[in-house]
Amino acid sequence: MKKTLAMMILLITTLSIAWGANSTVAGKCMTCHKEKTSGMYKQWLGSDHALHNVTCYDCHAADRSEPDAFEHEGAWIATLVTPNDCGKCHPQETKEVSESYHATAAEILDSKDAYLAHVAGGNPIAVVGCETCHGSIVKIDPNSPNKLSKLSWPNSGIGRINPDGSKGSCTACHTRHSFDKAQARQPEACSKCHLGPDHPQKEIYEESKHGNTYYTNIDKMNLDSDKWVVGEDYHIAPTCATCHMSATPNQKFTHDVGQRISWTLRPPISSRKDNWEQKKENMQDVCAACHENQFVENFYYQYDAVVRLYNEKFAKPATEIMTMLRKNNRFERQAAFSNKIEWVYWELWHHEGRRTRHGAAMAGPDYAWWHGMYDVAQNFYFDFLPEAQHYADPEVDAYIEKMLNENPMHNWINRDTKELKEEIRSGEMQKVYEDLFQEDK
Amino acid sequence: MKISSRYLQFIRGVSQNIIGKLGVALATSTFFMFLLMELAWFTGLVTNAYIGLISYLALPMLFIVGLILIPIGWKHQQKVTGKTSQELLNQQFDEDGVKGGFAGSGIFQTVGILTLVNVLFMVLASTQTLHFMDEAKFCGTACHTVMNPEWQTYQVSSHANVNCVECHVGEGAKALLDSKLNGLWQMVSLSFNLYERPIPTPVHQLRPARETCEKCHWPAKHYGEELIKHVRFTNDEFTQPLYTTLAMKINAEMDSEQVGVHWHIADGVQLRYGHTDPDRNKISWVEVNYPDGNSRRYTNTRIGNEKPVLAEREMDCVDCHNRATHIYLEPEDIVDKMLENGDIAKDLPYIRREALDALRTSSPDKERGLAQVARHLPAFYRNNYPQIYYNRLSELETIGEALSVEYDRYIHPEMNINWGVYPSHLGHKNDSGCFRCHNEFMQSDAGLTVAYDCTVCHDIFAYDSKSAFQFMTEVDTTDLESAIHHYLKETNF
Repeated sequence: MKKTLAMMILLITTLSIAWGANSTVAGKCMTCHKEKTSGMYKQWLGSDHALHNVTCYDCHAADRSEPDAFEHEGAWIATLVTPNDCGKCHPQETKEVSESYHATAAEILDSKDAYLAHVAGGNPIAVVGCETCHGSIVKIDPNSPNKLSKLSWPNSGIGRINPDGSKGSCTACHTRHSFDKAQARQPEACSKCHLGPDHPQKEIYEESKHGNTYYTNIDKMNLDSDKWVVGEDYHIAPTCATCHMSATPNQKFTHDVGQRISWTLRPPISSRKDNWEQKKENMQDVCAACHENQFVENFYYQYDAVVRLYNEKFAKPATEIMTMLRKNNRFERQAAFSNKIEWVYWELWHHEGRRTRHGAAMAGPDYAWWHGMYDVAQNFYFDFLPEAQHYADPEVDAYIEKMLNENPMHNWINRDTKELKEEIRSGEMQKVYEDLFQEDK
Repeated sequence: MKISSRYLQFIRGVSQNIIGKLGVALATSTFFMFLLMELAWFTGLVTNAYIGLISYLALPMLFIVGLILIPIGWKHQQKVTGKTSQELLNQQFDEDGVKGGFAGSGIFQTVGILTLVNVLFMVLASTQTLHFMDEAKFCGTACHTVMNPEWQTYQVSSHANVNCVECHVGEGAKALLDSKLNGLWQMVSLSFNLYERPIPTPVHQLRPARETCEKCHWPAKHYGEELIKHVRFTNDEFTQPLYTTLAMKINAEMDSEQVGVHWHIADGVQLRYGHTDPDRNKISWVEVNYPDGNSRRYTNTRIGNEKPVLAEREMDCVDCHNRATHIYLEPEDIVDKMLENGDIAKDLPYIRREALDALRTSSPDKERGLAQVARHLPAFYRNNYPQIYYNRLSELETIGEALSVEYDRYIHPEMNINWGVYPSHLGHKNDSGCFRCHNEFMQSDAGLTVAYDCTVCHDIFAYDSKSAFQFMTEVDTTDLESAIHHYLKETNF
């Protein structure tokens, strides 16, 4: 007991001496930066960090052996604050972020997106257009005043690969220097990246009842509260954070954003994620804070069917046709994306197909259909198929011929309108799609 | 013969044609007018600079023109009549006058006496003219539109009792001549509307500051530390004071414990710099020559050698004290001073924000601007705090009037002078002033940076703090800015 007490006294003394030293250094930073970068200073002054005496030097202190350390006004510091630095006080959050899909966002150099940006665009647009969201691979430049290459800094991409080996940038969501949780809980924090033709989560949220209620009632969201449990601390609407990260009466909050997602909606053909049953259950637990169980079950019943419809009716045939054309060596040019059909196929799944699936997942009907499946269908029948037939590949032509004549989802194209309308009215047509409502076995 | 009749006879004699008559009339009338005006100035009947222009510039000039016309008239008469001077003399004057005597002829004596009077008069007139033109009132009000802004700020400055010419002209005949020639050009540019609005600064032909300023402020006079106490008020509903107290290190010594900012002009120190812009704000290099013969050169790595240097200059007083006299205050300076003095009541909600808004009124003409300034506060309180408006209207109007007086002093649409046109280089607001050289980019070849630590030039006893000597007290750990307190307490003492 005595020993423990002695240890505690020693620990407290050490900490206070360390605080005293830190405080003097930080005081010097603050004295100057209060004037030189007054906006940054005031953001910090209004933050919870200031409230808890977390000052400049607590985050920016660096060991002189670190590659990005430099001496500034007598102190060794680093501009870059990495998840490892934040993890000194927030270990759980750092661990969850590191294990999340977000942390891998900068590992895109081999992706089709990055390839396209580099060949069809060029390095400057890859730096500005891709790496700003995905994160740069931070490079050291010994001649730069803050030792960071101009090509990789500034950057607060969510998967930034840092010189200390850590991945990510907490400021991607917790905008510096206020690091405000209320700010990170609002949809705008996510919509810095999640918007546009290929993943319009922001637009879909705005269309949905969820977004609708949120924007009408922001002042009732209790966004500043330390504890933020849906149904307990707020109830009027969910934000992105509510469903994907925040606490429910039964679940702790998590910084691993993939823990409640059951489908992969990103690739050309969607599939179930590892451990998807648990992940779906996690999300349904969030829904249950505001919705009755049957409501939630039925929502998933409808949503899952849209994903399967997209997969079966368009994604799989289009992908198969692309595979045949490549296998039969039909492309005029060899480089990826050097043939028109590759761009047509790309937009079919990467833009329109994702809009369909995201629209269904987040209750945005207009995105699911008019900005989504409608565009997929138009592209498929009147751009993609004609473009594929233009190669006159017997195998591909036979495949298309068979599909359009025999596949009950596609053969409408060769039939009589009156007859089709009759089938819609009678419910015959709907029966074609019945299987899509059933879970794959 | 009586003097008066002798004079009358003489002037009749020389005014034999229209030119002569005009000359005599001009010289005589301006002579008496001048004496009359002088009497009026002396008794204080007139004080206006425009009347001064007439009495000290127009009258002496017309007098000289008159005198010159008389011999021209005489010569002209000779030419027209074909007579010699002797014949004309005989014709115009009686024998007594023309006849020679002990001190020359009577005419000759009259001319001699009159010339003496003329010379005496011209000495008097030109002395008075120069004296008049040396007065601040002449400089400040003669060219009203152009000089009015400078005149307004001069009158409320610490140099209000020092004449303009003391700093702007200098001593000796050459300086006088230069200034008069310069003045001629100013007359031309004023007449033909050629002058720039606002007048560009720095004034490049200003006489060397060290010659003028150091007559009163010699370097050895700066010593110790000078305490500067600023108070700023918050822009919120409550108008709380925030104090900044600085102990300025202003010694002119270097290499000692007592080093202070005036080492820049210490004995034997020469500091030269190159700038890339006419305003001398973008300084690309600095060279310090120390008394021991050593020197050090710093180059701004941002401006570097990329931009050509527009001019080089030896640093002197006005590089920092660029607004020693014509100080153009900012709206914040004015409103904070009025709040501090109690000229504006602090219990009016949002009063600082609104008083600033009132002063920042933008208007193409002065009259409308003044009206807007005066109306701003009553309008704001009527719309937002009707109870205050009804109970304290006359107080709001008084504040509005006081604000218009300040607006009138500093805002001059006819010269394109608005807030911030003539910033002061004292201090380092918005990276100006000291920070033109004292910044992280100004480095020597050896990688040394010009010092820009906060405590190099001043100790800090309060920085937007709730009391004027906050950092002399114990550190309050509940204060969010206690780290600053901690650091400055250690540094100051």
